Amino acid sequence: MGVRDDQKAATRAKVLSAARDLFHEIGYDETTIRAIADRAGVSVGSVFTTFKSKADVLSQVMADRVGPLQEELTRILPYLRGSTSDRICSIFAIHYDFECRRVKLFLAHIAATFSPSLEETTVPFGRNQAFKGMLLDVLAEGIERGDVRPDADLGLVLEVLMAAYAFNYSLAAQVGADAVALTARMDRQVELILAGVRPQPTGYGAI
Amino acid sequence: MNHVPMRVITSPGARPIKPTRRALAKQRTREKVLAAARQLFSERGYEGATIRDIAKAAGMSTGAVFASFADKSELFDEILAEDYALLVEAMRDAASSSATVSEALTNLFAVAYRFHMTQLPLLQAGIAASWTRTEAGEKRNREALKPVMTMIADSLRAGVERGELSQKADLRLICGVLWDVYLAGYRRAVFDGWTADDLTSRLSDQIDLILAGARS
Repeated sequence: MGVRDDQKAATRAKVLSAARDLFHEIGYDETTIRAIADRAGVSVGSVFTTFKSKADVLSQVMADRVGPLQEELTRILPYLRGSTSDRICSIFAIHYDFECRRVKLFLAHIAATFSPSLEETTVPFGRNQAFKGMLLDVLAEGIERGDVRPDADLGLVLEVLMAAYAFNYSLAAQVGADAVALTARMDRQVELILAGVRPQPTGYGAI
Repeated sequence: MNHVPMRVITSPGARPIKPTRRALAKQRTREKVLAAARQLFSERGYEGATIRDIAKAAGMSTGAVFASFADKSELFDEILAEDYALLVEAMRDAASSSATVSEALTNLFAVAYRFHMTQLPLLQAGIAASWTRTEAGEKRNREALKPVMTMIADSLRAGVERGELSQKADLRLICGVLWDVYLAGYRRAVFDGWTADDLTSRLSDQIDLILAGARS
């Protein structure tokens, strides 16, 4: 890598770090490219040579956060115990805990997903396949554990869980709910949703 | 595409009071601003449309817009509230002609999907703005949604009375999750090109799953 590339990478890192802090501190809408450049100590022009738009910067900031979250989950996954709903609740709890550290950033990310003037480079919220895969695995294991019906439509369960998970953040946006409050709410929702796929108590045929 | 009926200043039942010219002019200004704003929010989203753009499109000064609306968020919320007021009746009709709780819910949400899918960008702008609303805006929005939320709760309560759902079912919790999946559906419309019918059919499955845990 040449000196130029080094410089470019350094600028990029500085811009992303400044943007991440500003989005969280004052909010995405209020943050201008100029403010990002100022905080990063680079020129406005050099922000635009690396990123197409503010939305592009946000997408990259969020993509960079997936790694650390994933690490945290991978570390914890082997220690998950209990029923399927306990395990699912733990996975969501870790997410709420992680995202609530910089909750405004996350809210901006969800909001951007719904913006009608979405840019092509924007990576929408909810496309994190690793997250979904992890939940699906736990659900599938639930069938083996015997607390999820074998004929349950796991894709459907996942969809409903994800909808509840995502829209719970609106409580963070509207009434300033914290990770503890969001997790408590999610726990009850997981319980309700999984109750719908619990094996029927079998009188006849049961051993 | 202003399909919201003009609000005529009369008191129903009573002898119509002839509005003054001033009041009529004010009303007309308001309607013009709302129509222009509706168009611009649909095209550019909430952030992308400024009061200045809206004033220009409505053919008036920025000051004239501010004479009718305190700020952009009030203007935007007024548009959403108008839509919900229109929707509520149709949703209620759909729910009341249904035999079961899942049918009632599916039918009432189907009305909302069909309505909003004709103006998806505006709906998107509304959901996007909901993540960053001010406290005052949030209060306004909750007020506008109240009749819809009450209707969902009523449908669930009727299900309990008919013995379809358990007496012990946590209706508030169910109501919340139903609303979440309904809203989340619009993502499929935005990113995967789903139609109102696709959304309704999927929602129907989701409703069955959510209610399954609450059946008696």
